[in-house]
Amino acid sequence: MFNKTAEVRENLLLSDGHYLLSFYSPLQARTARPGQFAMLRLCDRPDILLRRPMSIYDVKPTSQKSKLPELMQVVYKVVGTGTKAMAELKPGDALEVLAPLGHGYFQEDYQEKLLRADEVLLVAGGIGIAALLLSARELHESGIQQRLFFGGKTGADLVCYEDFGGLVQETILASEDGSKGQKGFVTVPLERYLGGNKGRKILIMVCGPWPMLEACVGLARGYGHPCLVSMENRMGCGLGVCLGCSIRVKGHGHGAYERVCTEGPVFWSDHISWAAGDTPEI
Amino acid sequence: MEKSSRTRDKNQKTASQSAPGSRGKFVPDMAVEFAGIHFKNPVLTASGTFGYGKEFAQLIDLSLLGGIVVKGISRQPMEGNPSPRIYETKSGMLNAIGLQNVGAKKFLEEKVPFLRGLDTQVIVNVFGYSTEEYVRCIEILNEAEGIAAYELNISCPNTHKGGMYYGSDPRMTHEVTVASKKVARYPLIVKLSPNVTDITVFARAAENGGADALSLVNTFVGMSIDIKTGKSHLPYGTGGLSGPAIKPLALRLVYQTVRAVRIPVMGIGGISNAEDVLEFLMAGAKAIQIGTANFYDPCVSERVIRNLEAYCKQKRINLSELVGTQSDLMSSG
Repeated sequence: MFNKTAEVRENLLLSDGHYLLSFYSPLQARTARPGQFAMLRLCDRPDILLRRPMSIYDVKPTSQKSKLPELMQVVYKVVGTGTKAMAELKPGDALEVLAPLGHGYFQEDYQEKLLRADEVLLVAGGIGIAALLLSARELHESGIQQRLFFGGKTGADLVCYEDFGGLVQETILASEDGSKGQKGFVTVPLERYLGGNKGRKILIMVCGPWPMLEACVGLARGYGHPCLVSMENRMGCGLGVCLGCSIRVKGHGHGAYERVCTEGPVFWSDHISWAAGDTPEI
Repeated sequence: MEKSSRTRDKNQKTASQSAPGSRGKFVPDMAVEFAGIHFKNPVLTASGTFGYGKEFAQLIDLSLLGGIVVKGISRQPMEGNPSPRIYETKSGMLNAIGLQNVGAKKFLEEKVPFLRGLDTQVIVNVFGYSTEEYVRCIEILNEAEGIAAYELNISCPNTHKGGMYYGSDPRMTHEVTVASKKVARYPLIVKLSPNVTDITVFARAAENGGADALSLVNTFVGMSIDIKTGKSHLPYGTGGLSGPAIKPLALRLVYQTVRAVRIPVMGIGGISNAEDVLEFLMAGAKAIQIGTANFYDPCVSERVIRNLEAYCKQKRINLSELVGTQSDLMSSG
């Protein structure tokens, strides 16, 4: 984990309100692992106090000549003051970056089940897609079959899925308004797939808003498949000291809460308490 | 005035020792003696914003710090409040963490060995639901070597019992200070709440109870409402406001308190750069703690210390000369 001032290289508008931000930070790019995140802070905006946690979407070299990653990319949707200000970033602007942070998808104790799977289903809700690309690439390199189920409110929420093209067997899109892909929740095609492939050793990786996570976790439980969830929550520091992002897990007393930034953001779904009131509505 | 001129005399001596009679290279003395504790500089990190130190070891040189005040410790482990626990406001943040901590015994086993190895002063923030809990927590912590002081947390606004209850009734402040001081093996710093009508009443209650020093302020109780739902952004309801937004409020309370007691005062509240530190020192604080800034700027403490030293070098003064230099600032217009 490093604290750096990075230079913005590109802030690309992907669709209505969705951006792909690229910044130059070789050390952080080279040490990032799938599922980890970065804390970003705008310079010269003291009114926006806290850094914003963002999944590390991708890392890549700046040119074809260089082989090692130098750029880090995050995908974000403008939802509040912080992301609105981020949308104003221009190439050459400075950005405070603390990264890479947290435990991702390939933690040692996740590996065994992960590598035993016949197939991994990547399930993304909206901007949750940002947590899955690095993972998809690593799974692809390990020769594991993958399918991407990607849902959003509208077609404009369905960004970046083209980048998964060479990595997954199939991409299934769904939008609640039917403007892109199947109409309705992404959990509908997911359930259909699970129902038709009962004999397979499937592992589900999911990232998205809480209600969607809960629905996916319910399906995983129902069909008896292991499920890794990438959680989000408001964060103060990203370092594990403010305890602001702690969520309720299955444990008692002091162990009843774990930090999304440190023990997570990726957890086994059955480790988290999904009871009403335990899930933060953010 | 008398106090500040005395300080100046003492330090001119130190200054001339480190720069014998010349305009040559001047190395300012940044050290502070505070309630019998020697701090290499007046910059500490505030409780609840710096974990147990280890979390920052990858980012800064911890030995540069004047000291670390660790996260509030209670006799028994505490699980804290429901999520979400924080909400950002303009130039500030609200928190309702609820003192989630590992408890005194585990703290001794798991955290103290690392902290003891650090070349900086370690202060343990102590919390309890009742006077007896404070006392028993201190009794457990007394077993540890290498603790510089206790900071008695009578000002946390985010628990339903204890904490601010002791900090908002002067009789309770006095009672818990007396009881804690009786058993404390290390100096006792009482951390005051700003959520009172007259903080000097509480400062004197702690002083009369035997406190060796005061630290202030804890967070201001605040609120933020989600207009879409009509509910608080924090399920706990209220939260403690911290960050640069509270600095002027904290500074005024420090200024008032310094003039009401004889024991030294540590200033806390929205400090994020060396200029902020200078303001608190000029108001009369002998040392300061950096809090929320550690969250959004994890290397802030190291930079503040460097810039403070550069300021003293440029002015050719020792740090202690800055303390209370503006004792007449209210009338200076």
